[in-house]
Amino acid sequence: MIAAIREFANRLLGRGDATITVPSFDGALKANQMLEAAETLLECEAPEDIVSDGRSLLIADGERLLRWAGSSPTEVRRFERPISALAVLPSGGVAIAINGTEVHIYETLTTQTPVSTFTGELRAVNALALAADGALIATDGSSSYKVDDWARDLMELGDTGRVFRLDPRTRAMQQLAGGLRYAFGAVANGNDVLVSESWRHRLVSIAPDGTRRVVLDHLPVYPSRLAPAHGGGFWLTAFIARTQLVEFVLREPAYRRRMIAEIEPDYWVAPRLRSGQSFKEPLQGAHIKTMGVMKPWAPPRSYGLVIRLGADGLPRHSLHSRADGVNHGIVAAVEFGGDLVMIAKGPGRVLRLPLATLGQELLP
Amino acid sequence: MRDTLTRLRYRYWPDHLLGEILSKRWTETAVPVLLLLIVGFALSRVLEHFLSPASLADTARQAGEIGFIGLGMALVVIVGGIDLSVGSMFALTDFCALYLLDVLNWPVPAVVVATMVVGGLLGAVNGLLIGYLRLRAFIATLITLIIYRSAFDLLIQRYSNAIASSLPDIPSWDFIGGGDVLGIPSVALLYVVVAIVGHVFLTRLRPGWHITAIGGSRRSAYNSGIPVRRTIALCYVASGVLTSIGALFFAARLGTVGGDIGVGLEVIVLTATVLGGITLGGGKGSVVKSLVGVLIVLLMTNGLTAMNARGGVNRMALATILLAAAMVDIRWQKNRTRIISKVYVAPTYHALPPPPPTEIGKGGPFEQNDKLRDVSLIGLGRIEAPEDVILDRNDVLYAGSRHGDIIRFYPPDYERMEVFAHIGGQPLGMAFDSQDNLYVCIGGMGLYRIAPEGTVEKATDETNRSLYSVNDDSRLRLADDLDITDDGLIFFSEATVRYEMDEWPIDGLEARGNGRIICYDTKSGTTQTVLRGLKFPNGVAVASDGQSILFAETFGCSIKRYWFAGPKKGAVETVMDNLPGYPDNINLASDGNYWLALVGMRSPSLDLAWKMPGFRRRMAKRVPIDEWLFPNINTGCVVKFNEQGQILESLWDLKGVNHPMITSMREHRGYLYLGGIANNRIGRIKLENADPDFVHYDRRWRRHS
Repeated sequence: MIAAIREFANRLLGRGDATITVPSFDGALKANQMLEAAETLLECEAPEDIVSDGRSLLIADGERLLRWAGSSPTEVRRFERPISALAVLPSGGVAIAINGTEVHIYETLTTQTPVSTFTGELRAVNALALAADGALIATDGSSSYKVDDWARDLMELGDTGRVFRLDPRTRAMQQLAGGLRYAFGAVANGNDVLVSESWRHRLVSIAPDGTRRVVLDHLPVYPSRLAPAHGGGFWLTAFIARTQLVEFVLREPAYRRRMIAEIEPDYWVAPRLRSGQSFKEPLQGAHIKTMGVMKPWAPPRSYGLVIRLGADGLPRHSLHSRADGVNHGIVAAVEFGGDLVMIAKGPGRVLRLPLATLGQELLP
Repeated sequence: MRDTLTRLRYRYWPDHLLGEILSKRWTETAVPVLLLLIVGFALSRVLEHFLSPASLADTARQAGEIGFIGLGMALVVIVGGIDLSVGSMFALTDFCALYLLDVLNWPVPAVVVATMVVGGLLGAVNGLLIGYLRLRAFIATLITLIIYRSAFDLLIQRYSNAIASSLPDIPSWDFIGGGDVLGIPSVALLYVVVAIVGHVFLTRLRPGWHITAIGGSRRSAYNSGIPVRRTIALCYVASGVLTSIGALFFAARLGTVGGDIGVGLEVIVLTATVLGGITLGGGKGSVVKSLVGVLIVLLMTNGLTAMNARGGVNRMALATILLAAAMVDIRWQKNRTRIISKVYVAPTYHALPPPPPTEIGKGGPFEQNDKLRDVSLIGLGRIEAPEDVILDRNDVLYAGSRHGDIIRFYPPDYERMEVFAHIGGQPLGMAFDSQDNLYVCIGGMGLYRIAPEGTVEKATDETNRSLYSVNDDSRLRLADDLDITDDGLIFFSEATVRYEMDEWPIDGLEARGNGRIICYDTKSGTTQTVLRGLKFPNGVAVASDGQSILFAETFGCSIKRYWFAGPKKGAVETVMDNLPGYPDNINLASDGNYWLALVGMRSPSLDLAWKMPGFRRRMAKRVPIDEWLFPNINTGCVVKFNEQGQILESLWDLKGVNHPMITSMREHRGYLYLGGIANNRIGRIKLENADPDFVHYDRRWRRHS
């Protein structure tokens, strides 16, 4: 009873859970324009994930699997449905999630038939990672909606994300965690697995027995895929950023219901991988071009961000593309050679930045 | 069903009035008045004869006496001081009146005048000390309290017997003390007269404003050239005179000079003043507050006395009430503006049908194209915020800037630029009259006229006040666009009466018909509101029949036509509605049709929000304005339409990099010139099949160049 009254009062006064404040980009997240300065390696139609096998880069571009080894990409193979996640196995094989519902494991890149296939309950597998014991970790964003329909999951306050452990040898599939508010991206962290829980803006470390520990909380963005970094630590991508308007709409059930029912998803008041494509998109006050310029600190409908985490999971520095930029919707990052290679899903680009130049401003 | 309920609820329940009423200065008095009503009601239930005429007359008599002192106290508190000596002055002037009458046997009028003069002199001592010698009001009046009281004590020792022994029987003196007109005591009658004069003085006359200004900020008042010292001194003189008037009535009523007369009076009056809501800090207060405070105190003390409460209890109750009232009053004063800002924004229900398509391939008159891609730019980075542009017959280009200037560019290349006139406010719509005067709507200022040689004159900045509006809507807040009829009537739009120009997004959030069309007659110089309740009226153009105007309602997404003369006089008809964007300025095209700027395009998310007022109200409260859902005014287009409401052509710029926003356009000799209020450039594009000799206002005034 008291809790109900408190909740009502909170909603009336905009306090407690009804608060719509968003943490600012500060400290290690201080904004810069480094992603805007990144070199565009190649432009793809629908880049989704990127991994490295040490010698070359594998890029999932829609239904195509591309390999890039330094000059121009070659198409390795093509699937009937879009690839939603990639992982390279230590054996030289490759794990590929198709359309979010199946995970295929191939002995080599070109083998036609998979050695094993996981399907079953999988609904929206959006990232694959290798665990310490050689098993595969798959994050399944939502049990309700497909991979591409993540915005609907966000707008309906989805909490059906799961993390699975797939064992290629025994072909066993085991659920490590459930009830996550969109799981998107995982990386091995010792024996544990570090998972992005996007709609709760945090990183959770999940032990093999399933116990969870929050590693990084209160992010101003929605975190996505993770990748290991040289010298310990991780690269964390953030595919979209939070705004007060979206936080507000998330607390307005009636408006959300009608918006989902009556408006095309492209024009929802929801974060997007790219923005400014149509005047039918929602526009916020600070988006008005004044004297021909939109301010970079305007609330981002789409944003580009990669965060370098230390081995403790805390941010060290970050690479940004701000509201007025183009390289938005960074969904994957991987170290390759001396570079950091990233996928900007918004403009459909593969970006490259030399690792040596990153974090320079933090050196003494 | 749900939409219908929402629509009806927002149509018939005037949400916006709450904020407007609370913004009125007189609502500051709300708490004391409420307290007075509660006290009055409570006493009338407890005491049997509380509301009997005799009891009321007695209360009124006392209220009048203390009321005069209260008025004086109110004056000095408003000016930023305090007068503790009122009790002693009261006693001294009371003595003075009785001494002159009983001992010296002066005639009554002379006694009255002399007593008031004495009161004035006593107050003048305070005024001299505080106003000119800059002593602290508290100390100075504390000293005079003691001195005057001692003087009174010395005087009554000598003369009290003489006064007590004489019992003059003078009818006029008795009338002052106990007379009435139609049952209303003489003192109350005079109080009412003085109170009304005082109210007018404080709120409508220059010295009254000076007093409030000094109380609000003495330094600012001094810097503004207000004679601070003299005004303060005169307030204390007035306090003395008003106290002496109270004392005169008291003397006439009781005719005694007891030793305890006026003892503790300053506390009662001060209590009444604070209870009424006159803040001790100065700068705030009114006659009504003083009256309400006096009544509360008097009702309390009289009521408690009638209930046989002891003096101690009486004062204790008074003190408690004073404490409670002071606390509530402080909270109220402090949070009033915050409450207003929370409730002033009152969104309403505004439903638009789904807009016509604009996508390429879907056809229709609004199908996007890239006809404006090759706009050439004039004054890039040199002009800021040209909302409207206009050209004269010599091809000189005029545009407003946000620095409050009218800038002009010279042909043929429009590189040379100069300030034509400085006005000081943001220039919006412009039009030439038949004598080549340039009329300009200035946001926040009104309608201005610039002669060909560049002299600026105000045409009008106010209109008639609406009978039923709570806000004073006589001043023009956001004159927007205009056109001039053959008879010299200037019709111009005022986008909103509830907000200032920079607050236009709040008006968009409300989506209520807050705007109006106003007519200024250049011949008689009169201004009259002709249409009200319009949703951000914007562009105005005289129609081809010369008897009507076309005007755009930006947030109504429609074009309407209003007949100001002829057989259809007074009628309003919709020419076009459910536009896919927000219409702005309208101007004549060379082929007799009209150009219309769509300053922005509708987005489904805002269209939906406009149907959900509660959502928008919460958004206004929770979300900072920079993050609100806005009308999209980054992308727009120019369309040509005719009086039948058909769209003939639309001109788009798909990328919007070159010229992002279009608020206005003007056709001139085969070119179209574009203005945008958030731009730092003017656009120019060659038109196909346009009259190469067309000059808008030469055509308008049937002149051939």
